[in-house]
Amino acid sequence: MPRIRPSALIKAYRDNPLLPLLLKECRTLGSARNELRWLREHALRTSQTRTRQQPNPTTPLAEWKMHLISMCRQRSRGYPLQYILGDQPFGDLEILCRPGVLIPRPDTESYVVQAAKLVEQMATASERSSTSTDKNDPKPLRILDLCTGTGCITLLLHALLSPRFEHLRVMGIDISSKALSLARKNLDHNLQQGLLTHRASTDIQFHRADVLGFPPGADGGDDADGIPNVEKILSEYFDQPGETEMSEAPLNLEPGCDLLISNPPYISSSDFRNGTTARSVRLFEPKLALVPPLPPQFQQSPNPTPTPTSAMGDVRPEDIFYRRILELSYKLRTKVTVLECGDIKQAERVIEMHNFMAPGQDRFQDPFDVQVWPNNEQDMAFYGFHHNEGSRCVIIQRGVRSSDSK
Amino acid sequence: MLQCGRFMRQPLRFSLQPFLRRTLHTGVSPVLLTRARLLAAEHAKLSSRLADSFDAKIAKRAGELAPSAAILKEWDNANESISELKALLEDPETDAELHTLATEDLETSREALPSLSDRLKKSLIPRHPFADLPCLVEIRPGAGGDEAGLFAYEMMRMYMTLCSRKGLRPTILKQDVEDGPSEDRLLEAVIEVEADGAYDILRTESGVHRVQRVPATETKGRTHTSAVSVMVLPSFPESGSASDNALNFDDPTSDYYIDPQEVRVEKMRAGGAGGQHVNKTESAIRLTHIPTNTVVSMQDERSQHANRRTAWQMLRAKIAEARQEAREQELVQLRRGAMGGVAKMGREIRFSRCTDHRSGITLHNLDDVLAGGDGLESVMESVRTWISDREVEAMVAEELAKAEEQEKKEKKEKGQNKK
Repeated sequence: MPRIRPSALIKAYRDNPLLPLLLKECRTLGSARNELRWLREHALRTSQTRTRQQPNPTTPLAEWKMHLISMCRQRSRGYPLQYILGDQPFGDLEILCRPGVLIPRPDTESYVVQAAKLVEQMATASERSSTSTDKNDPKPLRILDLCTGTGCITLLLHALLSPRFEHLRVMGIDISSKALSLARKNLDHNLQQGLLTHRASTDIQFHRADVLGFPPGADGGDDADGIPNVEKILSEYFDQPGETEMSEAPLNLEPGCDLLISNPPYISSSDFRNGTTARSVRLFEPKLALVPPLPPQFQQSPNPTPTPTSAMGDVRPEDIFYRRILELSYKLRTKVTVLECGDIKQAERVIEMHNFMAPGQDRFQDPFDVQVWPNNEQDMAFYGFHHNEGSRCVIIQRGVRSSDSK
Repeated sequence: MLQCGRFMRQPLRFSLQPFLRRTLHTGVSPVLLTRARLLAAEHAKLSSRLADSFDAKIAKRAGELAPSAAILKEWDNANESISELKALLEDPETDAELHTLATEDLETSREALPSLSDRLKKSLIPRHPFADLPCLVEIRPGAGGDEAGLFAYEMMRMYMTLCSRKGLRPTILKQDVEDGPSEDRLLEAVIEVEADGAYDILRTESGVHRVQRVPATETKGRTHTSAVSVMVLPSFPESGSASDNALNFDDPTSDYYIDPQEVRVEKMRAGGAGGQHVNKTESAIRLTHIPTNTVVSMQDERSQHANRRTAWQMLRAKIAEARQEAREQELVQLRRGAMGGVAKMGREIRFSRCTDHRSGITLHNLDDVLAGGDGLESVMESVRTWISDREVEAMVAEELAKAEEQEKKEKKEKGQNKK
């Protein structure tokens, strides 16, 4: 990290004595100034509500200033602004942020918007090709969000797609109970603010499950620590009740899933330590949401249930979530899969993995369309991506050209 | 020096204009009368058609014409009664009692006539294309350094209070202050006024506002002169809400359409790791409309999404205003300089007086003006009258030019016929 020039610090100090504190984390004067403004507004707002609750005539002015100073000190230690202010805008939504749950990133916002666009395009295309009888079919649009965290993706997808789709079911899954309770709180919060339609409360579900957990075998599907297995949850969710409930081949289902989207942990343990990951993220955001766990017992112990991917050999430890999610995506016969990746290289590895793993007969029946997004100048400029650095997402679409072959 | 750009483009004119250029037109010029008759005839035709079958477009047009038609009728009635009364007076058989009554009636009718013709003229002015829209008010200090920034800040507060007092729902979209310890030196501010028709109300405020006073920052008691430019821009509704409207900016055939290809988007972000690796709070965005080199930057909101939306709103507003102005300029050209357009002249504040050089009004209760009170409203009202007078003049000039052309054509045709 380049050193901040003393002259810049002095200039910042002359502007406002609190600016140098913020400059430590923000690195540029412009963004430090913006943060100071947001913090000041927050301090004023909280002091106003506090004085309204219990009027305190003695120096209410100093109180908010003290609050502001302490917030700036926190920020200078790298404590995330979103945890201080308590929320982060995400699309048109207001997502509450609490320590222990990953803060939504603007990159993810772009991926969600793009995913919603693709789903809408897909629906328009199928409406055009299908006969009118399909329109009366109340089959809902099904969306699955794995590793949901604050629930930001789930909620924003509902906000974006609910005007178009009358029947919509979105499920968010996470392993962390802290994240899940925050996700539910976010659902209520955005309903209260009127940012989500009242339908959201019935359309959206959050479930606790271990995405990495392996298919239900001898142990009955639950992990040792009582976290339900993701496949069990999914089979209950996607199966029509009463139909092949715990069959031999779970999840080999026709209805399937329309959109599977995920922002799983994808940072390698070396990138977490070597400075690629920002200090603020490393120190204050949950490692659980950032770095995938090392699976030593999986690689060494004799595997009771051989997965179809075990032949693939070495998957990098930071990519293990993608393998698992791709597997689930094939099982659910997902139409669109959107996976956030740390950089272009990781995205390319995911595509390679997909090419290796994609079920052969599916590939023949309805070809997959795979792309790394954003891949053109216009999208990159519009959403503000660097042309070769920063995050990317992999979009896998099934049977884009299948409508005429069938 | 960027903020001086607009200021330079619209050079200050020290007002040596006559105090009140507004002249009292007692009569309605024949060209305007023919125009009024045409409009009334159109209105009658449309209403009869509406009686048969309803059509939203026709109803809208008829609604626009209704006031002119109604006033023309009133005006006709007044003229008729005057001529009748005159006839009555001239008639030698009228008895004395009736004679006095008629004289009284004639007087009242004559008194009513000028205001009627005034109203008739104003109803003939074509409505401003943006009149029904909400608006954005952009305030930038011009020459004058710190003092200009201070004054710009005061102006911003002034418009905020004025708008909230009138219930126009103002919000500050952007407020850039100068580097430094104080918060009251503005670099640029944008106020969004959400109420429909706010554009028409605040349109009088576009222009350069000069201030001459001893600023609060002055230690030696010298007088400073500085200037602040105010732009009132139309604020377009979100896309989709106005599909049949001519102002629909998504429609490539619309006059106010902006091709997204011509806009360069810059989110000021550097390279390096992204996604989960970092948690940047930077949300600034900058749009450049390449053909006109119009730049808009936004950084006030924490959400990039919100900043992007506001930036687009600003860009659209600026370009639409520029295009509208260009069109007005063309009209002026057509009139062959017979009439200037509505000049964006300014208002001047000197010590404790506020003078508007357009309407020529001078107020002495400056504090009330700067507090956004009734004083400001009376200034705005006077400017509004001034603008509509200018528009009437322009309209007369235009109609005259049209009539002249018509005559020439007819003469030519006659000449050809003779041959």
